[in-house]
Amino acid sequence: MMKYALVTGGSRGIGRAISVRLALDGYYVLINYRSNKIEAEKTLFEIKSNNCNAELIQFDVSNSIEVQNVLSGWMDSNKDKHLEVLVNNAGVNKDNLMVFMTDNDWEDIMSTNVDSFFYVTRQLLQNMLINKSGRIVNIVSLSGQKGQKGQVNYSASKGAIIAATKSLAMEVGKKKVRVNAVSPGFIKTEMTESLNEEELKKLIPLNRFGTAEEVADVVSFLVSEKSSYITGEVISINGGMYS
Amino acid sequence: MERNEIQLIVNGFLVEEFEINENLINPEARLIEDLGISSLDFVDIVVIIEKEFGFKVKREEITQIRTLKDMYVYIENRI
Repeated sequence: MMKYALVTGGSRGIGRAISVRLALDGYYVLINYRSNKIEAEKTLFEIKSNNCNAELIQFDVSNSIEVQNVLSGWMDSNKDKHLEVLVNNAGVNKDNLMVFMTDNDWEDIMSTNVDSFFYVTRQLLQNMLINKSGRIVNIVSLSGQKGQKGQVNYSASKGAIIAATKSLAMEVGKKKVRVNAVSPGFIKTEMTESLNEEELKKLIPLNRFGTAEEVADVVSFLVSEKSSYITGEVISINGGMYS
Repeated sequence: MERNEIQLIVNGFLVEEFEINENLINPEARLIEDLGISSLDFVDIVVIIEKEFGFKVKREEITQIRTLKDMYVYIENRI
């Protein structure tokens, strides 16, 4: 029987790697994107090149009405298909020292990184509870675990999701829904391409940035039966930076 | 549908789906405190009511239900 997964922010970077990984694991993947259809198409193409299946689903994760309309529309037209995996990956950063941070810098990050978790998860949760089957993986960040200057907004947003992961795991475990978080450190993506890798890797015990595929492998494990007794956890993938 | 029939259906699914001890079932029994139903079980109760009685249950309505009698009356008023 086909399994269904939704990956938010699946058009690029870690989201793309997760979408491809889950498709290779046998999931039919709904690849969410907001505006970059060209990049989202590339994710879809890569999945189809591997003889796997997926589709694009466009909505803004930070818009409650849009999330509700698009996702309930998909579920109404696909009543026999159960979205049993949700990967809340969509996220942005707008780094600045707090003293220079604008209201917009704060609100945009909270809205895309925190509100989105609430809107999208709530929409899928009811069916997971009814079906007594669900795995939710929230992509957080090392910045949500430890302090990082210039990232007060981003750290706060990721810290909020870590706390939400733990509370939700306690709420829904009884209904066989598992909730975990994956917390990447420095990973080679567009988000980190402006960073000086040569300098920063000196801080990393494994002496390199990670890859999106390595993050995707952790997600793959957390949605699989191999992690059937793990819930409410934050799994770090940071080359040993924070241990 | 008569109240008796509603009671029969509701009591039936509580025993079958939630493994509630039949001896505990009476109209004054509180769902959470007396019958041991968890607040999350209301998700399943909504689905069962909708299937058995054929109407849409609103989230805010179901959270007002405290006792079995409340549930019978609620269903009776909706069908």
